[in-house]
Amino acid sequence: MSRLRLSIILPLLLGFLCSVAVAQQTDTFFQQNCTSCHTIGGGRLTGPDLKDATKRKERAWLEKFIQAPKAVIDSGDPYALQLQQESRGIVMPAVPGVTPQMAKALVDLIEAESALPKSRFAGAAISDRPFTPANVALGMEILRGERKLSQGGAACISCHTIGTLRGMGGGRLGPDLTLVWERLGGRKAIGAWLTNPLTPTMQAVYRNHRLQNEEIFPLLAVFDEAARTSLPADSGAQVNFFLAGFAGLCGALGLMGWIWRGRFTNVRRNLVRKSRGVE
Amino acid sequence: MPITFMQQFHFVVLPYLVMLIFFLGTIFRYRKAPYTYSSLSSQFLENERHFWGLVPFHYGIVTVLAGHVVAFLLPRQILAWNSQPLRLYILEITALVAGLLAIVGLVGSIVRRLTFSKVRTVTNTFDWIVLSLLLFQLLSGVYVAVFHPWGSAWFSAAISPYLWSLVRFNPDLNYIAMLPIGVKVHIIMAYVIIGIAPFTRLVHILVVPNPYLWRRPQVVRWYRAPKEVA
Repeated sequence: MSRLRLSIILPLLLGFLCSVAVAQQTDTFFQQNCTSCHTIGGGRLTGPDLKDATKRKERAWLEKFIQAPKAVIDSGDPYALQLQQESRGIVMPAVPGVTPQMAKALVDLIEAESALPKSRFAGAAISDRPFTPANVALGMEILRGERKLSQGGAACISCHTIGTLRGMGGGRLGPDLTLVWERLGGRKAIGAWLTNPLTPTMQAVYRNHRLQNEEIFPLLAVFDEAARTSLPADSGAQVNFFLAGFAGLCGALGLMGWIWRGRFTNVRRNLVRKSRGVE
Repeated sequence: MPITFMQQFHFVVLPYLVMLIFFLGTIFRYRKAPYTYSSLSSQFLENERHFWGLVPFHYGIVTVLAGHVVAFLLPRQILAWNSQPLRLYILEITALVAGLLAIVGLVGSIVRRLTFSKVRTVTNTFDWIVLSLLLFQLLSGVYVAVFHPWGSAWFSAAISPYLWSLVRFNPDLNYIAMLPIGVKVHIIMAYVIIGIAPFTRLVHILVVPNPYLWRRPQVVRWYRAPKEVA
């Protein structure tokens, strides 16, 4: 009798544990890969609000789109094209690790969270208060790296430039941030992006150095001001940088010639000349 | 973004492969042909142009390589140094000057080897391959420095963790998967140069006579009687 009971309970328990593990895995996956652009019930970010997505479109379509967004858009699907248009032309990137099982689990999660009065994925709590000049000044300090990020992340200037930066500007590994306010869709969308960056490089670099809300808010103030008052950075800073390097090169070559001015040159020629009796 | 097979090959397989070749190749060569462990200097054959090739190239390349090694070993310290934009600009301009010096020196060396018949005679195919690879690598490095600044900062933030992931035998390509093509080519060429180093004059890097820098000066005198002139 006890063996029979065990043979029923054990598979049930294992099944329950497995389903909990899959749900946790899906939650983490959604948090890490989807919340930069989507909320569930928190309004549109760069991408649409996913609340009741399963009521707007059939599950099979959603699962297919989640696995290969670009392929569905390229196929000319009218709903996918509409979504792209609403997202200012931004194409949803293919997220690594989205298997058919994961796509199904994500749609399950969206459906379950949509049924709740308030989802855990309703979006980052970014303040709505207006930006002040002090916010902008603090944001510039953070962007330039003068104010260290509390979790030790690299400063924005390492990879990005912005029109309001003076001197030789910022980095050019990532995109110019001058118009990011319009490109990503304002305060809430950029706030969500900075809370949980989506690009593989930023995701890897900030994985263990997350930006905090008190750092994100001043940065948003900088992006807001740059979009209103500045043009994207031109190549002038890069030209100045190269010219400074070229001037340094000329100086270094001149210095080398001066330091080793007494070096042996024409040793052999001088010896030959001497041996021929020409002084 | 999914990691492709080619990315796995270039940024995981290739670095391990070239390190294996480098260690085994340099040890094997040292045991089998120790007297070839040299830069095989041609200064004796031509000393006038040699200076403008050798000196700028070596000062430039040693500075640039040292910068890469420091950013790999001490990324947090580099980022701390860069926390003042002026310091960041000074570091970047210094590195650019060193890169340009190395290019000027290398071009000088190539022109010298092409134009002086004695030096050209002692230049073999592997030397030309090494010179070409080094020139390409230096040009790509300067391209990256100018068009994708600020390398000292993003190397510390992204390339250093990638390299450490290789050292820990737990490669993480997410750091570099989305980097611009110019940066990726620069990394791949660095691996290629490390891979061919054991078969070229580059092995002289391992036997630099550093004690010359601090040993007491030596005066060399000939005690041989001068030849009588008939």
